[in-house]
Amino acid sequence: MPAVQETIEQVRNIDVDQYKYGFETLIETDKAPKGLNEDIIRLISAKKDEPEWMLDWRLEAFRRWQTMSEPSWARVSYPEIDFQDIHYYAAPKSTSGPTSLEEVDPELLRTYEKLGIPLKEQEILAGVRKQGEPSDLDAIEGNGGRRVAVDAVFDSVSVVTTFKKELAAAGVIFCSISEAIREHPDLVRKYLGTVVPTSDNYYATLNTAVFTDGSFVYVPKGVRCPMELSTYFRINEKNTGQFERTLIIAEEGAYVSYLEGCTAPQRDENQLHAAVVELIALDDAEIKYSTVQNWYPGDKDGKGGIYNFVTKRGDCRGKNSKISWTQVETGSAITWKYPSCILRGDNSQGEFYSIAVSNGHQQIDSGTKMLHLGKNTVSRIISKGISAGRSNNTYRGQVSVHRKATNARNFTNCDSLLIGNDCGAHTVPYIEAKNATAKLEHEATTSKISEDQLFYVMQRGIPEEEAIALIVNGFVKEVIQELPMEFAVEAQKLIGISLEGSVG
Amino acid sequence: MNVHATPQMTAAEQALIDTYGQLFSDLPGDTAVVVRRDEAVEALKSGLPTRRVEAWHYTDLRRLLSTVPAFDPLARAKEQPALLSGATVLPVLSGTVTSMPQIEGVAIRRIFDRLSDGSLAAQLFDGDAADAIGAINTAFVGDGYALDIAEGAEIAKPIELQNLHEGGQTHVRFATHAGRNSRATIVERQTGTGEALVSAISHITVEDGAELTWIILQEQPDDATFLGQTNIEIGADAKFTLFFMNAGGKLVRQEVTVNVAGEGSEFILRGVNLLAGGTHCDVTMVLDHAAANTVSTEVIRNVVTDQAKGVFQGQIRVAREAQKTDAKMACNTLLLTDEGEFSAKPELEIFADDVACGHGATVTEIDQGHLFYLMARGIDEKTARGLLVRAFLAEVIEDLENEAMVEALEEKLTAWFATHG
Repeated sequence: MPAVQETIEQVRNIDVDQYKYGFETLIETDKAPKGLNEDIIRLISAKKDEPEWMLDWRLEAFRRWQTMSEPSWARVSYPEIDFQDIHYYAAPKSTSGPTSLEEVDPELLRTYEKLGIPLKEQEILAGVRKQGEPSDLDAIEGNGGRRVAVDAVFDSVSVVTTFKKELAAAGVIFCSISEAIREHPDLVRKYLGTVVPTSDNYYATLNTAVFTDGSFVYVPKGVRCPMELSTYFRINEKNTGQFERTLIIAEEGAYVSYLEGCTAPQRDENQLHAAVVELIALDDAEIKYSTVQNWYPGDKDGKGGIYNFVTKRGDCRGKNSKISWTQVETGSAITWKYPSCILRGDNSQGEFYSIAVSNGHQQIDSGTKMLHLGKNTVSRIISKGISAGRSNNTYRGQVSVHRKATNARNFTNCDSLLIGNDCGAHTVPYIEAKNATAKLEHEATTSKISEDQLFYVMQRGIPEEEAIALIVNGFVKEVIQELPMEFAVEAQKLIGISLEGSVG
Repeated sequence: MNVHATPQMTAAEQALIDTYGQLFSDLPGDTAVVVRRDEAVEALKSGLPTRRVEAWHYTDLRRLLSTVPAFDPLARAKEQPALLSGATVLPVLSGTVTSMPQIEGVAIRRIFDRLSDGSLAAQLFDGDAADAIGAINTAFVGDGYALDIAEGAEIAKPIELQNLHEGGQTHVRFATHAGRNSRATIVERQTGTGEALVSAISHITVEDGAELTWIILQEQPDDATFLGQTNIEIGADAKFTLFFMNAGGKLVRQEVTVNVAGEGSEFILRGVNLLAGGTHCDVTMVLDHAAANTVSTEVIRNVVTDQAKGVFQGQIRVAREAQKTDAKMACNTLLLTDEGEFSAKPELEIFADDVACGHGATVTEIDQGHLFYLMARGIDEKTARGLLVRAFLAEVIEDLENEAMVEALEEKLTAWFATHG
């Protein structure tokens, strides 16, 4: 069935030439010279005032990276990247690392206001949202809205982190990773690189060598983080790459919800974004990680745009732990990203909810990996891909049940929708079972609704068509509900898209 | 083949290359065939595929094909009774055609002759780096049957192609051309005794309006390697039904490539993999929908017991012009032991926007609810399990609809359960 008109219009509204965040902030910048070598890495480390062990770790990664080759298995194509033609460090001159809001360059504050990211705590508290889009949330939740602590990363540095004091009172550490390396070296050393090791893959190794900033979250035992945490990434400078590193640790019984947003100016050249995100959930802990990825996708002819080569992985290290990834992907010229869960602890759970929309000449190769190692582990994958224009949109996912992972369960559903006849939609799942008690289900069309469910609804007197609609709606609603309220406005445009007419 | 330079040849790779050097002068073929054979051997020299080659993601042929038995010039396998009564049997015994039965409406030739006159050259290895089966077979193929079914012919009696061995190596081909509006049923048997390396490649062309049913029954002994490849091209308003049953072999790779090239045509695939002992069985299908208004359904059912490893890779590709394609693929597996493994990679690659394509893949154990239902009726657990597994497989066989065929294949199922149940 072809896409319905409403869907076509919805997708058109977020087409590449409708990109709203393509403006540039003119601000004096402190930049490292172009190129990548040990001196540049030493420079980055020195700028960050890092301890010796950190520099050693970076250099080791850099030496390893030089022996590695770029992965070629993804369904994406792009000209060779000249890694020597990139500035690996760029920071607004007025900012020497994280500071208080009063000291932040007003030009930067204006930039974030324009992006709809409120950084002024008092305004947020007062419910003032002049620059952001009018939020339906205010109506739902009253005058105050919901409070979100924000870490704002501009090119290579974190410019400000809000609500730090209030979070500290609850025992939560939320700061830039650079600050964490200085202030909480023991925690960082204990966990950094334990989920995504230095040798993991080409881009992760590069990131380890040159990462400049990112966020650090530590939620102590038994603490439920009192507010949503959020990082907003902005690439501004020309010819720079953004290499951020995020590390989130939820101790026993802790809970945290973390949101991430990103945009970049409209430029004719491609820019590289190679991030690494590591999540660690100990016994009974839960981490919810949501992304609205809206990097500049390039123009309608495929010129420019961000190469988004990201390694995101969560480790359900403890018993009964849970990690949930939700992503809404609309940006980037190329996306290469597989947020994954290592289900190591018994009874741990992993979830992946994704809506990926590609337009213009965008190429998306994204999905997830669910590695079942512990007993009674459960994973759930819901992926909706929508391709339009001349784009290609690939779901690539792996579900693997290891020999000792008894009673592992997985349910995977990926739907794709094509709009127009010049794009492509692809599904590449890898399903691997090595234990007889595993129960893995992968399905790729709405017509493959479980017959049991259908029978259940129909035997209550509901006609088949309505029954299917009911189940499908319930299904989509489930995905939507995973999106945190804070991203509702941005995500609503996508959520409104009907998946009628989808193919597997 | 492996695109990466292989530092050292494995014993099997070396044996294949050495054997070619010894047999070269005895193999049939004109210049065009010899060129292809040489190219195939050159490809083998760069190494058998490893998991780095995506098409071999779950079957590391370089590691798994550890030894290659020598050709046995004295072996002469014996013809087997046909699967379906009344069938005309065309036997290839230890790699050689020994009889040429007549079938009205079908022109039959030996592959030996078609290699000698070069008319088969176009079907041989064409340099595709991942086509290890094509390369091995091209290097050594000596005989087989070429069938040409006349336009409009309705062949009442089934035709049974037998590839039988008594150990060693056999490399055969079956080439079939089904003329416009023709009808036929063909059974392909792959079996034998003793340690063996067997390769068999079929190129099948189904012309406009033709309807062909093809059944592959693979029952290799526990120490045999079977490398099978079936390549199908389907014309307009034609119908091709492929059924396969894998019930043996140490290392099995069954490749199916289908091009649904004509409008209004249909492709049906049903497959049963019975995996026991130490078998490694990989079924890899690539299905192209290249024309509008075509339909395909694929259902693969697998039972894995003991230390067996099963693989299904199924890729459906829908071209831009193939609007209104309706393609459905399902792969269901019952994994009965913790030592067994099953991996599935059901892929969709879709470029047309008005299509209905889907795939489903499940790996489960026996449904506890069903088991309870049967046991509550006084059936002991072992019998109940047996019934459920059998029913799971029989469902696919019954899709063939032809009663004689269903019965014959269900008997094979019974025989397998008698030894492995």
